[in-house]
Amino acid sequence: MFLEIVDVFISGLINGSVYALMAVGLTLVYGVTKAFNFAYGSFYNLGGYFAWLLLIPLTVVGGYYSVFFLAVPFFFIVGYLLEKVLIAPLRKYDDWEMKVMMLTLGLSLFMDFGYQSVFGPRIKSLPSIIDGTVEIGKVVLFQQDIVIFILSVSGMLCFGWVLNNTRTGMAVQAVAQNPAGAQIVGIPKDFIFAATFAISTIMVGFGGILLCQKNFVDPMGSTDIMIKAWVITAFGGMGSIRGSLYAAFILGMLEAFVGWYFGMIHVQIATLTLLLVTLAIRPQGLMGRE
Amino acid sequence: MLKINKLNTYYGESHILKDVSLSVGQGQVVIMLGPNGHGKSTLLKSICGLVEKIDGRILYDGQEIAGLPSEKIVNLGVTYIAENRELFPYMTVKENLKLGAYARSARASEKKNMAWVASLFPKLMQRHNQMASTMSGGEAKMLAIARGLMSDADLLCIDEPALGLQPSYRVEISKIIREISKQGKTVFIVEQNIPQLIEMADKIYIMEEGAISFEGKKEDALNNEQLREIFLGL
Repeated sequence: MFLEIVDVFISGLINGSVYALMAVGLTLVYGVTKAFNFAYGSFYNLGGYFAWLLLIPLTVVGGYYSVFFLAVPFFFIVGYLLEKVLIAPLRKYDDWEMKVMMLTLGLSLFMDFGYQSVFGPRIKSLPSIIDGTVEIGKVVLFQQDIVIFILSVSGMLCFGWVLNNTRTGMAVQAVAQNPAGAQIVGIPKDFIFAATFAISTIMVGFGGILLCQKNFVDPMGSTDIMIKAWVITAFGGMGSIRGSLYAAFILGMLEAFVGWYFGMIHVQIATLTLLLVTLAIRPQGLMGRE
Repeated sequence: MLKINKLNTYYGESHILKDVSLSVGQGQVVIMLGPNGHGKSTLLKSICGLVEKIDGRILYDGQEIAGLPSEKIVNLGVTYIAENRELFPYMTVKENLKLGAYARSARASEKKNMAWVASLFPKLMQRHNQMASTMSGGEAKMLAIARGLMSDADLLCIDEPALGLQPSYRVEISKIIREISKQGKTVFIVEQNIPQLIEMADKIYIMEEGAISFEGKKEDALNNEQLREIFLGL
């Protein structure tokens, strides 16, 4: 029994770490641009397909090393162009937040059906990053899980470092806190919007690579991820990075324990219950600002 | 240094500035007086690229800046210090100041300006780790001015620096503006009625309903009975 609980706890911790990586990206975009990217889950899948393409049909030299190395510029460019081509032109309208929501919802469906036509409706599996186990006392850990945890936590640390220690990172925070003030000091808002989108796309793309090699690449799997990312963002407090971080781990744990005790079928309802109860008591979420 | 010719500005359907022409010379202190809501702030925002629909010419050092994005204008050496401060609320005093030097043109002199700002605002620097959102109105105003100075601008467009402040802060702000001017900076201030500021003005404008209704030296303004009464409150 105890060993089982430890296993469940570890699984919650590992999923939580990847959720955190992804949700922080989503909340960042919301915090900076005040628009919600509903295509976020589909970019998770793009991560999965990106890895699959490189590893299986293209059998790229260097395996996962190359996948991660190439993923950074690839997702940056995809995110940047997406913002410049599709989102930025909407910003001249008064109700542009609503228009962005509509557009990203459409984009999400387009991408999901696009995956089906390009890659077929069946799920694809990725080779695991690393095989084998590590034993700590009686607890057996998959090396794969350890790598996922280390990579997503280092991804977040990198992100936190960039946000707090670089001029661009500070500018991103400035736009989130006061767009008018940011304009006054000469921060190019349009560039920051696009850069934020690009950074968040890298984060979700990485999340996709990490989790898809553990699970599968499912062309219709984006909805599930989108729900999770949205629940974490709203539960943690829209726009609060710290809130998302805590919410991701809480959700990861909740999922693991509910799945283990009551069965996987009850997982989504449990997370949504947690969300609704939280929002009823604290409409701004765990750490959102009123 | 700054020459504006027939500037018209619009917010949606409403026509705010009507054929405004004016000039501000290098190193001068120029004050624009006038009732609230008659377009004074819009004028400063138009100069600094913060208003979308403008028409007319704004020349800064001979270069056309009308319609340029704000970041380009900041880079050329023009900064706006907002009446409502527009600070970054969840950042410290120091971080706000550092972001004041965000413009490429300001980076090389960030250290020098930080030292200058520290000497001008010693009280502010004692609280360099305080969050901007927890400061009083007067302190926040000081921080907004200090952040503006960090941009290394040669032309400072200051919007109502003393509005809503206690008399002690008004005196302090006037002193600071005098110091800024002594450093050779050009200062264009929009204000309602601050005798200490008017004293140091090289030129005074009055704006009513979006148009300039008076232009002259402070002596001319002070000698004009009607102006004395209405705008200077003397």
